[in-house]
Amino acid sequence: MNYDAFKAAVAEAAAKMGIGEYELYYMSEESISVSAHQHEVNRFSSSVNGGACFRCIADGKMGYASTELLDEEQASAIVSRAVDNARTVESEDAVFIHGAGDSYRETAAQDIPLPAAGEMISFILDCQDKAYAADPRVCDGTSSQFVAERVTTRLTNSKGLDLKNISSFQGGIVGAVLEQDGQKYNYYDYRAGSAGGIDRAELVQSAVSKAAATIGAEVAKSGKVPVVFDPEVMADFLAIFCPVFSADQAQKGLSLLKGMEGEEIAAPVLTLMDDPFYPGCTVQAGFDAEGVATSTKAVIEDGVLKTLLHNLKTAAKDGRRSTGNACKASYAASVSVAPYSFYVKPGALSREELFAKAGDGIYLTEVSGGHAGANAITGDFSLQSSGFLIEGGKITKALRGFTVAGNFYELLKAVSAIGSDLKFGLPSGSTVFGAPSVLVRELSIAGK
Amino acid sequence: MLSRELIGDVLQKAVSTGADFAEVFAEHTKSNAVNMIDGKVETITDNYLSGVGVRVYKGLRSAYASTSDTSRAGLMRCADNAAQAIASGSAQMDIVLTERRFGDIHPVRIVPASVPASRKAELLRLGCQAAREYHESISQVQGTLLDVDHSVLIANTEGLLTEDRQIRTRMMVSAVASRAGENQSGICSPGRRMGLEMFEEIDPASVGREAARQAVTMLSAGYCPAGKMTVAIENGFGGVIFHEACGHSLEATSVAMGKSQFAGKLGQQIANPKVTAIDDGTIPNAWGSINIDDEGNPSQRNVLIENGVLKSYLIDRLNGKRMGMAPTGSARRQSYLYEPTSRMTNTYIANGPDKNEEIIASIENGLYCRHMGGGSVNPVTGEFNFAVTEGYLIRDGKICEPVRGASLIGKGSEILMDIDMVGQNLDHGQGMCGSLSGSIPTNVGQPLIRVSSITVGGR
Repeated sequence: MNYDAFKAAVAEAAAKMGIGEYELYYMSEESISVSAHQHEVNRFSSSVNGGACFRCIADGKMGYASTELLDEEQASAIVSRAVDNARTVESEDAVFIHGAGDSYRETAAQDIPLPAAGEMISFILDCQDKAYAADPRVCDGTSSQFVAERVTTRLTNSKGLDLKNISSFQGGIVGAVLEQDGQKYNYYDYRAGSAGGIDRAELVQSAVSKAAATIGAEVAKSGKVPVVFDPEVMADFLAIFCPVFSADQAQKGLSLLKGMEGEEIAAPVLTLMDDPFYPGCTVQAGFDAEGVATSTKAVIEDGVLKTLLHNLKTAAKDGRRSTGNACKASYAASVSVAPYSFYVKPGALSREELFAKAGDGIYLTEVSGGHAGANAITGDFSLQSSGFLIEGGKITKALRGFTVAGNFYELLKAVSAIGSDLKFGLPSGSTVFGAPSVLVRELSIAGK
Repeated sequence: MLSRELIGDVLQKAVSTGADFAEVFAEHTKSNAVNMIDGKVETITDNYLSGVGVRVYKGLRSAYASTSDTSRAGLMRCADNAAQAIASGSAQMDIVLTERRFGDIHPVRIVPASVPASRKAELLRLGCQAAREYHESISQVQGTLLDVDHSVLIANTEGLLTEDRQIRTRMMVSAVASRAGENQSGICSPGRRMGLEMFEEIDPASVGREAARQAVTMLSAGYCPAGKMTVAIENGFGGVIFHEACGHSLEATSVAMGKSQFAGKLGQQIANPKVTAIDDGTIPNAWGSINIDDEGNPSQRNVLIENGVLKSYLIDRLNGKRMGMAPTGSARRQSYLYEPTSRMTNTYIANGPDKNEEIIASIENGLYCRHMGGGSVNPVTGEFNFAVTEGYLIRDGKICEPVRGASLIGKGSEILMDIDMVGQNLDHGQGMCGSLSGSIPTNVGQPLIRVSSITVGGR
């Protein structure tokens, strides 16, 4: 059955079981991806999938149950499973189904239909041709991919909310592999946009020249030096340490920012924004995963922590209003907290000016293993890295095979200058992380 | 799950434009997670996943379409999407489905879905309570008890029709120790391919105590020094070193595309002669075990490296075609949303010739890694990294004070040669491995090993 019929069947089942407060949250996703190896298409995949999560309040507790199978049987099964689950919950936190009355800001147009397969195929084959032509060292293993997805979210509840949001994402990814003297070198680069809109030559050139730049890289010398973070690396750090800005984590004692609102937690040059309506971003949202209206806000302003990110439950615990940051990692997940377009506000300096300010140091272009080598609870990180040596304020040679280590809370305070080159990464769920280049006074390098 | 007639029609539709092969993968998965924080059940989530994936090949090209709409119309539309993407002709194939039963080598005595959530909460409480009571510095304990009941059906145009049911249970306890505005964390997360009888083998309280012990130990640890060192890596989850440094590069996904440092090296010495490495999906009830892979082939024990010589890759059907080699029962996927590809199951370095005491005693100045976190690898360059969650300095052949914040980095082809001592206490640890075909349960394992020289990231 379709969603509207399922919604009606769930409402009937809830009424039969005497459930007064509930919400039905539905997410469906259509996606297509194609990839090429050598000069032909080697993979094509398309998917249409979706599921619904029912949550309700029974005896003051919140219970959840979800299904991908939308039929009569599941409509009543998820209601009774959610009630059973609620009866086993012991947490005494107040729980909420959000009422109507918020005024929701419109998002920019972001309902972009999936492109025709032919358009995507010509994009990737063209990228492959351009990659092999870009450098004689480009070898097999080089791949191009185009992905497109369109996500529909619907939230209906017993208090009269009936909301719908559509977001889309399209982008091209080129993984260039180069071979020299029997050694292989690679780099992945991407651009968000339509198959017709992305500058293919620029994307391919960027991936190939970034892979080529790593050839002949030396192991960095161990020591403590100034580090310039590339925008992508800084955005990676925001993604890894994003949980420290969650009020949910803070209340559980898992973020050291607990109770720090109004205090200086970062260098005065640093402003960190959360914007559900960032212009040009196609994963905007006017309402969050509980149906609360979203808003644009500074999380850190001129080094001062202005707010943590809240949902209804964490806001009630702190006696304040939700910041509209309730999030579900998937339709079936419980409500947590996450930002939207989460980015470091750019400054006025060019990257070259940051190198000049660094003097002698390291320009960090890639970190790996953030899920393992970094810990959001302690703030400690020690990450496999590659980049370039900065000598006398200028890039001199490529470096690899070293680690960069430090602590995120200390890093926030050690930022000494911010570049103007803001760049966003690929979306991860409803969040997109972005940053410009950033100069950090000192971090530990382990190499030779 | 689906009628034979419907499966036949879907396969016929999938090859209707001229594909040489088609496969249907159908799945019903029930999952349940009980989450506890501060000693109280915080949330219970459950989900019923249901969908179908249709895959077609023509030559070395593949197309995959998946849907959660399992009505006849939804499935035929899905098959048509795959068919249209692979070719544009008109064709028909003789498909005679013959049901095959491979048996179940992973018995389950207590199916978790049949046990009330309150009973699961009690098991989890034992783990969380033990962590809380371990030490006064423990400030927070979180726990999750996860169970998954995954039923699959696989059929293809060569006539295969088979089904399997895979039940897994895992408990995760994470503890935070705090002192003077500083946090340290510890985690313990055993899992088995079995039901709740897992807790007859593993005491939930010991899970909590282990998480707390790590957090408390690290609270009094200084930062690990940086530089090249000799390192001893303990058994169990320490096997993540082989998983990252070598395992991923032996998957046909990398090898067939020329993206692996080990492509073309069969029969060559790629590791120290003391190293024998095995991927075995047939270990009864082990976390990474399967009866059949996600292409319907029975799981098997694959010797990857024997006395340092490369013996085998992990091969799925499509990459096997590209490589001209037979599949090794290694095709896996997270769910119907993913096209399967070659992946690991239970991967480990076998016991070697060295006594564990002698390994530690042989190190003058170095690092003893008692517990490892996860890691990652770039299969093209072989560069890998992984985190040391509990480390100790070694001086004059003795294990000394604990150190925090270390990571190990290196290159797979070099590290394999540098594993110069292999001990005798093989054990396995559980993880979730993420790659092209999603996130799947895998075991890593090894006895205590010595790496003669590796870069230690510290500060």
